Amino acid sequence: MLASEKRSLFRFLTIYLSSTFILFFLAVSIFYTLQKQEILGQQKTALSSKAHAIEQKLRKLHNTFETPLLYPHDKEIGSAIYNLDKEFIFGTFQPTQIKWSKPLYTHDHRLFYIHRLKPYYLGASYLIVTQEINRDPLNRLIQNLTLFLLIVMSFFTLLAIFLGKLFTAPMRDSIKQMNRFIEDTTHELNTPISTILTNIELLETIYSCQGEKEMRRIQVASQTLSRLYEDLTYLKFNYNYHREVVTLDISELLNERLEFFSTLIEAKELKLNKEIDEHITIEIDKNDAIRLIDNILSNAIKYNIKKGALEVQLTSNALEVQNAGLGIKKENISLIQKRFIRDNKNEGGFGIGLDIIGQVVERYNFLFSITSTPNKTTKVTILWEK
Amino acid sequence: MGKITLLLLLAPITLLADNPSPLLQTNCLACHVEQKIPSELIYRRYLMQYSSNERIKRKLIPFLKNPTKKTSIMPKQFFLKFPQKKALDLNETALTQSVKAYLDYFDIKKRLKVQ
Repeated sequence: MLASEKRSLFRFLTIYLSSTFILFFLAVSIFYTLQKQEILGQQKTALSSKAHAIEQKLRKLHNTFETPLLYPHDKEIGSAIYNLDKEFIFGTFQPTQIKWSKPLYTHDHRLFYIHRLKPYYLGASYLIVTQEINRDPLNRLIQNLTLFLLIVMSFFTLLAIFLGKLFTAPMRDSIKQMNRFIEDTTHELNTPISTILTNIELLETIYSCQGEKEMRRIQVASQTLSRLYEDLTYLKFNYNYHREVVTLDISELLNERLEFFSTLIEAKELKLNKEIDEHITIEIDKNDAIRLIDNILSNAIKYNIKKGALEVQLTSNALEVQNAGLGIKKENISLIQKRFIRDNKNEGGFGIGLDIIGQVVERYNFLFSITSTPNKTTKVTILWEK
Repeated sequence: MGKITLLLLLAPITLLADNPSPLLQTNCLACHVEQKIPSELIYRRYLMQYSSNERIKRKLIPFLKNPTKKTSIMPKQFFLKFPQKKALDLNETALTQSVKAYLDYFDIKKRLKVQ
């Protein structure tokens, strides 16, 4: 699956599933509340009928008034009688707190029912009965609702994945088509570029060529095309190709690449000032290092002014490359690190250089920064250690 | 040992609860017994009508000062058998204390027991 496709699918799944789950969760919560009320209502009915039975016994007791007055006690429930002033008269329990405004309420896993009495047998105006809530039906309800939610969530997750893939299919096809086009183009570019470069070298070494200036221009153009081919190939196989991380002499490689770019530097008449410490080594794959250095140098040359300064500094801590030129606006610095985005469209290119630099930096945990003063200088710094 | 001590301490209180106070005996029960007027029945009617001792007291004191058949808690048929009560010749304090003793003597809280 493509990275952009993954991202789109993930966003779609997040929005779709979270909204669906919230909706279902709300519906289930409301259903649970209603069912709970019904279950408690059933228990209240049972409690209420027991309260009525006690009321009848209280009436009988009041009428007979036989001493001692034996309070009607039901072993299954607790009961207590209160007078009109809500003072405790007698009971098998005495609750610490009574919610007088609610005829039916739950407290501390118990169900309380306040039964009003009139006339006041034995002076009782309120009969409070209580029993422990029978949680079995509630637990069964919770189990069933949890199972229902799980089934619904699983179903909607599968549906969302299916729909997501269906929606992202056109995008996936377009990206695949574009990648295939780049792949074919780069493949077709390779042979003619190699032929041009080889033949230029042959012309220079075997034949004395009159049009040296024109030859140089052809060489520069061919090298640019060659690097573009390398960059596109790198991006294409970036995630798949086998890397061989070795202790690489980056000083030696930097000098080699500067030599490679010498034609371009001379063509633009740049003043190269290099301060390269010898035998600096880092742990990196050689191809990654070449792509990193080439793209930094290429950008520094490409966006430099004619006869401008190019400063290259390498220490054991960092690689710094500074050029003179238009510079980059502060707000565009983070933007240009994205693929196919360029700040200055006057020069050729696809806008993939900084994206490649960013990928290498991220892979090896380097630190990467760009500082720029518009119309003066731009400095790119790679810190080897975090 | 603790239980025995508690029983000994509670015994006089129980006896007090069972026996009317001299004030109640003199001001109320003496006449009621003599005329065979059922005090307990009257208490029960008050209890069923007004629920709490405080509410009974608020109704009973004005009635005792000026008793009439109309303001009595008892039904009309009651007076066919028993005479109409006369106003008590007691000062306010004695009357209040007598009513308190009456309610205390018949207090439902003291009579109820667990089955």
